[in-house]
Amino acid sequence: MATHRRSGINRRAVIKGATATAIGIMAAPMISRAQAKPIKIGMPTILSGRVAQLGTSSRNGVMLEVDKVNAAGGLAGRPIEMVIRDSKGQPQEAARVARELVNSDGCEILIDAEASSGAFAVHEVARDLKVLCLHTNSETSSLTADPKQRIANAFRTCRQGIHDSIVGGAYAAKVANAKKLAKWMTCSPDYAYGRDTTAQFVEYLKHFKSDVEVVSEAWPKLFQPDYTEVITKILQTKPQALYSCLWGGDLTSFIEQGNIYALFTQTETFAVNMADYTALTVVKNLPKGIHSGNRYIKTFPTTPQNASWADAYRAKFNEYPTNWSWQNATAINFLAAAAKKANTADGAKIAEALRGLTIDSPFGSNGKLTIRAEDQTLVGYAIGWGTTIPTEPYVPAVTAGDWKQIFELETAWKKKNGYL
Amino acid sequence: MRHSFRRDMIIGAIAVTALVLLPLVWPNKAFIDFTIRGASFALFATSLNLLVGYGGMVSFGHGMFFGLGAYSFGLLMQRTGMSIPAAFALTIVVTAAVALAVGAICVRLKEIYFAFLTLAFQMFLYSLVILWVPLTGGDQGLRGGIPRPSFLGIDLADQRQLYIASCVLLVGGLILMHHIVESPFGYTLRMIRDNATRAAFLGVEVFRIKLVAFVLAGIFGGIGGVIMSLFVSGAYPEFANWTMSGEAVFIVMLGGISTFFGPVVGTVILLLLNDVVTRFTEYYGLTLGAIILLFALGLRRGLTDFLLDYWRRSPWVLAAAKRGR
Repeated sequence: MATHRRSGINRRAVIKGATATAIGIMAAPMISRAQAKPIKIGMPTILSGRVAQLGTSSRNGVMLEVDKVNAAGGLAGRPIEMVIRDSKGQPQEAARVARELVNSDGCEILIDAEASSGAFAVHEVARDLKVLCLHTNSETSSLTADPKQRIANAFRTCRQGIHDSIVGGAYAAKVANAKKLAKWMTCSPDYAYGRDTTAQFVEYLKHFKSDVEVVSEAWPKLFQPDYTEVITKILQTKPQALYSCLWGGDLTSFIEQGNIYALFTQTETFAVNMADYTALTVVKNLPKGIHSGNRYIKTFPTTPQNASWADAYRAKFNEYPTNWSWQNATAINFLAAAAKKANTADGAKIAEALRGLTIDSPFGSNGKLTIRAEDQTLVGYAIGWGTTIPTEPYVPAVTAGDWKQIFELETAWKKKNGYL
Repeated sequence: MRHSFRRDMIIGAIAVTALVLLPLVWPNKAFIDFTIRGASFALFATSLNLLVGYGGMVSFGHGMFFGLGAYSFGLLMQRTGMSIPAAFALTIVVTAAVALAVGAICVRLKEIYFAFLTLAFQMFLYSLVILWVPLTGGDQGLRGGIPRPSFLGIDLADQRQLYIASCVLLVGGLILMHHIVESPFGYTLRMIRDNATRAAFLGVEVFRIKLVAFVLAGIFGGIGGVIMSLFVSGAYPEFANWTMSGEAVFIVMLGGISTFFGPVVGTVILLLLNDVVTRFTEYYGLTLGAIILLFALGLRRGLTDFLLDYWRRSPWVLAAAKRGR
């Protein structure tokens, strides 16, 4: 009995100590400086699990810009205080955290740094609570394109699937014409994103080059560790070109295992998600000549502003930014510009100012980014394709996509889907 | 029996009244959200305990009914435009029908085979949700919000009214489940758990009793899913994934399986832990893992099991028992 009691006290002391330390360590960086009447911005994102690295890079992107905005006086004089919480990538948690951020923590604006289904869950919270919400990571086009989804207080400050498909299709068709690539194969992860993105890429590839034939498809499972059977299938099919929208750890595993079979010297490879530092810096023996869309790369846009932003990020966080970093940084940039324009930090008035707003940005295709008024989504961002080399800067030159062409085909796509 | 049911009803009425009045005294939006989620998980976990605690059937696939409830309710509301009570009733019918079909195959098996077959069926449903994109939206879930038209003057789009509805469903569900486990049926179920062969010799149709328990548990699990789909105004594949079953098993273990209210206590503990821990750290898994270790090594069973045991062993109760003897 006595031993029991003693061990109980010890345990309690240990828990207390551990909790206090944990709170101290974890809370310190999340609470930015609080001055008179700060404006709280809530941000649910994925900080644990398989894509935690991307969630952390979202937080980094936001904090880099928040520090600048606060140094310049905050949102219409009110310093920004970020409240960033982990949703673990679960939509019901994302909804719960978003509600809590607004209802209990007094956040007046939400930055939704959730992926796919989590973003739609937060979107519903924004619809319910009528709070200004900026989606920063969901690339699903219907989130803003579908009028049924649209609400006046939600915006998107990131790239989206349809833009990527059009640019990818146009670029791949150009390469295919030059190198006479007619026999294609696809290899993408077997879930909605993989299937949709691949179908859309092939659609636009054929739009620009009608004699292309997809002779075989491989659908590895999401998070599959071994790609031998897929690689064997590709080697047997002997396609002239290969398209893949594998990403993250799946892509790096696939590249490394494909290297063993010298896969990438035998077939022209188009891996849309290659040019992101999370993949580029991780893969051993990055093959030369893999075509990729730009996720985030320091060399594109080829401006000193972009390069110095990447360097500042790297200096502060000791790693290169990701695609999610620039998108979240952009959200803060837009909030700051809109608050300045409206001369208030009021959510509804900022929303009004955001519609159609153009700002200077290192991530713009011509140094500018715009929130298109009609569907409240980001356009004019740097988008293009290039080829890899094994060492830094990994993708030395990127061919920019044509925004005029994107707008034309996007409108046609919207009409086809009944969105217009 | 009638007496105990009446007593349950009176306690239930008091509980609902207290829960409904509480926000008037203490208007806290976080508490309202917490209770709605709590109602969803408590019904879900208690329904699993019907199988685990009373039937000795450890199901690893119970999340399938949670997901099924959320998806069928969400789809009915989005696609057919029927009223909420109608969609609710139809969801119960759908869940019961699926539980009947799945149960008819699963409950013939015992122990690990039962556990894994239920898991297999859950993963089948999960794959269906992921792959049937035109109907379910695939991994994006049911988007665009679930319409919540008012009925009988009740507007579930209003969080306060959803809170009241959730409390009523929670208390009503718990009363019904309590009545089930205290009925002769419930005692037959316990007998099967303890010795199925003996029960069969006594003339109990073991298969039928287990199947009925499986269907009932499925229905209440589905109601948990309906509440969750109303809370998030959508349905997502995660609801049907094995992790959801894992969560329920965890709640039941945390709260305890030998008391009726164990899973409710477990739900409150888990949700509180979740909400508090994620506030302070992203190392949620690590913290929660450490707490599970404390439970496993320190208490060696669920909280209510531990408390019950502690109470039974306390000198006061022992002395009373001795006096009684």
